[in-house]
Amino acid sequence: MRALRAFLRSPAAVIGSVILLAVLVMGVSAHWFYPGDPLGLAGRPLQWPGQNPRFPLGTDPSGRDIAAQLFHGARVSLLIGFVATAIAALIGIAIGALAGFYGGAVDTALMRVTEAFQTVPNFLLLLVLVAVFGSTIETVTIAIGIVSWPPVARLTRAEFLTLRTRDFVQACRVQGLSDAHLILREVLPNALPPVIVYASVVMAVAILLESALAFLQLSDPNVPSWGNLIGLGRNVLRTEWYVSAIPGVAILLTILGVSLVGQGLNDALNPRLASGR
Amino acid sequence: MTGPTRREMLVLGAGAMLAVPAMAQETPRRGGVLTVHFATEQRILNPSLQASTGVYIVGGKIQEALLDLDAEGRPVGVLAESWESAPDGLTHTFRLRRGVTWHDGRPFTSADVQFTAMEMWKKILNYGTTLQQFLTEVQTPDPHTAVFKYSRPMPQGLLLRALPDLGYVSPKHVFETGDIRQNPANTAPIGTGPFRFVQYERGQFIIAERNPNYWREGMPYLDRVVWRVVGDRAAAAAQMEAGQILFSPYSSLTIADLQRLGRDPRFEVTTRGNEGNVRTNTLEFNFRNPVLADIRVRRAIAHALNVPFFIENFLGPFAKPGTGPIPSVSTDYYPGPDVPQYPYDPALANRLLDEAGQRRGQGGLRFALRLLPAPWGEDIALWATFIQQSLQQVGIRIEIVRNDAAGYLRSVYRDHAFDLATGWHQYRSDPAVSTTVWYRSGSPVGAPWTNQWGWKDDRIDALIDAAATEVDPAKRRALYAEFVRAVQTELPLWMPIEQIFVSVFNRRVRNAGNNPRWASSSWHDTWLAS
Amino acid sequence: MRILRLAGRRLAASLPTLLIILAGMFLLLQLAPGDTVDALMAQIGGGDAAFAAEMRRFYGLDAGVPAQLWNYLSRLATLDLGHSAIYGKSVATVILERLPATLLLMVSALSFAFSFGLVLGVIAARRVNRWPDTLISTLGLIFYATPSFWFGLMAIVVFSVHLQWLPAGGLSDITRSLSGLAAVVDVARHLVLPTLTLGLIFLAIYLRIMRASMLEVLSLDFVRTARAKGLSETRVVARHVLRNAMLPMVTLIGLQAGTMLGGSVVVESVFALPGLGRLAYESVVQRDLNTLLGIIFVSALLVIAINFLVDILYARLDPRISAEE
Repeated sequence: MRALRAFLRSPAAVIGSVILLAVLVMGVSAHWFYPGDPLGLAGRPLQWPGQNPRFPLGTDPSGRDIAAQLFHGARVSLLIGFVATAIAALIGIAIGALAGFYGGAVDTALMRVTEAFQTVPNFLLLLVLVAVFGSTIETVTIAIGIVSWPPVARLTRAEFLTLRTRDFVQACRVQGLSDAHLILREVLPNALPPVIVYASVVMAVAILLESALAFLQLSDPNVPSWGNLIGLGRNVLRTEWYVSAIPGVAILLTILGVSLVGQGLNDALNPRLASGR
Repeated sequence: MTGPTRREMLVLGAGAMLAVPAMAQETPRRGGVLTVHFATEQRILNPSLQASTGVYIVGGKIQEALLDLDAEGRPVGVLAESWESAPDGLTHTFRLRRGVTWHDGRPFTSADVQFTAMEMWKKILNYGTTLQQFLTEVQTPDPHTAVFKYSRPMPQGLLLRALPDLGYVSPKHVFETGDIRQNPANTAPIGTGPFRFVQYERGQFIIAERNPNYWREGMPYLDRVVWRVVGDRAAAAAQMEAGQILFSPYSSLTIADLQRLGRDPRFEVTTRGNEGNVRTNTLEFNFRNPVLADIRVRRAIAHALNVPFFIENFLGPFAKPGTGPIPSVSTDYYPGPDVPQYPYDPALANRLLDEAGQRRGQGGLRFALRLLPAPWGEDIALWATFIQQSLQQVGIRIEIVRNDAAGYLRSVYRDHAFDLATGWHQYRSDPAVSTTVWYRSGSPVGAPWTNQWGWKDDRIDALIDAAATEVDPAKRRALYAEFVRAVQTELPLWMPIEQIFVSVFNRRVRNAGNNPRWASSSWHDTWLAS
Repeated sequence: MRILRLAGRRLAASLPTLLIILAGMFLLLQLAPGDTVDALMAQIGGGDAAFAAEMRRFYGLDAGVPAQLWNYLSRLATLDLGHSAIYGKSVATVILERLPATLLLMVSALSFAFSFGLVLGVIAARRVNRWPDTLISTLGLIFYATPSFWFGLMAIVVFSVHLQWLPAGGLSDITRSLSGLAAVVDVARHLVLPTLTLGLIFLAIYLRIMRASMLEVLSLDFVRTARAKGLSETRVVARHVLRNAMLPMVTLIGLQAGTMLGGSVVVESVFALPGLGRLAYESVVQRDLNTLLGIIFVSALLVIAINFLVDILYARLDPRISAEE
């Protein structure tokens, strides 16, 4: 595929993919390297990295192995990112497709709702959702998805608005194909590329939102997410700054990877905007 | 390099002397601004309406109570000069101080005490409503005498111990018109204290300045007190180190920062001055879960937790193992450590759980419980995690359910949607004020920090009621000792950790911590060295 | 005059949206466990049942939910935002007190992000694929990926505690009463770190957009025409390219306004600034419905206003006025 080759030619995309792959491997191999409960008491709290050969990255304020939490947390953070993005994508594409395809009153109504969600600062809405529905990992992920869908909807709607006037759509209509077929089989596949690119932004934001919630002690304390570790390290930031620094770097690298992959996707799928031309 | 000059030696010597904590012989220096870390803003500043350390830290400098505590923790007169009680406990007479004026110039009289007691302490003040529920009237035979009359015996010890916190007086002429709760003086207090209110910028600061007409001659020494609102604990420690804050009360910095600043010669990190502000960490059981209704399970859970290990490794030097609901600092009522205890014994815990019929199943798991930690303490979060890790070892899986403050109170004390809960029990000078409510049955659903466990014991109820109205101090002490023995045996809830709040002083602050409730006290004799 | 009419029409068009937001949030918050009296009890650390019942009556919480919603909306129609449970003052007063700090922070962060993003984006585009571009783009990516609260705390540790160059928090030095220029400088010093913290991620975004936009415009016909006419490169960039390339940036300001307010929650918490972000967080935790809805109302108006201004600015910069045929 031409797009895939274009993707692989971009050094940014390759670096990003390598980073993401490394994170994925970390998550998948967590049970081999660190069997047992990563949140269990492993040793004395707040040991520095390298101080104890058993804990190459030290221990956190609750005496838990930071390296174990890093590996197990890779799975959690990636999962949160993927699922929240999927939820946002599902809602956003559905609303955007319907609004863009039908136009008129449907469009106006749906756009009002989208505007409403966009006008409320998304972190604020997230705080309210978490206060109302609780801090389990499931609710946090769904809440992040709920605050992230408006830009996806707008993007999808814009694509649908341009595409629905195209000839091939008119041709399909003449053939008497149903609306559902048109939306799902004809227009959507063409509308998806910019949405897929934007999904990388959504994923980056989702991981950052979860870490911000965890920083405010509002995330699920029963899972070893990186954000939780940053939140735990907040109280010892002056002296044992590595507790927050290490997962902070992990988040940074993961988002870097996601952004680079997104950039690569953008270059591959939108050759017009590729740099240098 | 030549050695130090004679001058340098003198300066060094003087510096070394000043670095030693406050010596009584030093002459107080006048002037200066004391900046205080104000961590949680409260809704009002009037201590006659709201009994909370978060209110006293400000309101206690502007308004005064009938009594305060002296350096040994004994009641000493502030707005009251002397007092006597009838042997039947139904009448308590207070002779009030003369020559005291409110900040707006009007004289302080017994009418103010009558108004505050009947309209504020009895009707509105949290804990005051319970304490004064049998108060029928306050007589004012002359402007400097207030006579409290009760329909049921009020032990003098209980009243005197409670009044430093629950006895703040507000001016009648300011509050007698309109709704007391909507009165603007609640956020711009008018009092008789050493400092006059100046300004309150929400979210930023509160300023109070020296009261030149204060009834104590020559005091206060400070020019101003400024409370800086800093919600973030790490930021507060940074401001402390940058010299922008000179005093942080009530363990408002992180445990790590407390320990670190304790090693810094510029600061004093101590429990001195907070002996009256003790709290115990609780472990509350919900009897509606039939597993927890079995006493063997509750005792097993207690035996599975290594409390001394937890304290040593996670809480540092500011906590110690508790022996029951009445903490060791309570000299009048502490019954001693010779009551049922639950030392760390995982083998015993496993055996008790097996005996209770809760055998290990798949993956070594016996059963699962929801643990709700209160969100207002770093130590609570650490304790909850430790409970989760420890109980895992004996086959109990713990799911920690996070809530914010309002959600926690609702979930535990109204909806009863918990299996285990852990929070603070704040001991307020007398078991009848703050402690026995955790055990007495009959509290309405939704009342926080009361017995909402779905448990009731008639004998313990009777003990509590008898002790609350027992006038003889020795008999009262014995009743409370029996109470502690009974609840430690039954274990409806467990209070295994005792902590005194920690203050952090910049060593420039002198006469700090010179009574057991110093942070709440009036600071009339506090001064700043240069 | 025309602008005012346009503004009025824009506002009228946004009213349904505002209504959805407010009613939706009100009902959502009713589902939150615990009410403002529970939060009050937690704050004061103790109280009995009589006290709680009395406070509930005082705050008007004993009426039913539909009644409370109706009361709220009908008061809103007269622009009465209600009474704040936490502060005992009218919500409008409370918000007006906290608005300046947030506006100051947002304007500073936006200006910082916009101007530096512009300059760096132009440099990166002019030296595309060479080392300045790689360096700037990499820095941009790192800024984008850095959690803002982590950066803020580390900045405090480095600049306030260790180097003692800048204050650790607050909006001004309250132990000294300053006025005039000294006061302005004092506030400016206090805002340096918060501005950097809040603006960092937006700097990264503007940088990337500016760079991409510049590259796109630089490849268009009219630029080649200008170059063929013999104009110097700088002249080409400054007069023709910049104006067109800035259009997406300007649009972005409107979209980012809401995100910035959300980001200010964390930044204001770390730096102890008395702004709307922290007030919003407090209102959620303390279940102060009136204040929270008031903030959302005000922020929605702010976003609408900013988008309106952006549209006007966009029209002024419109390429129809530039050299493109």
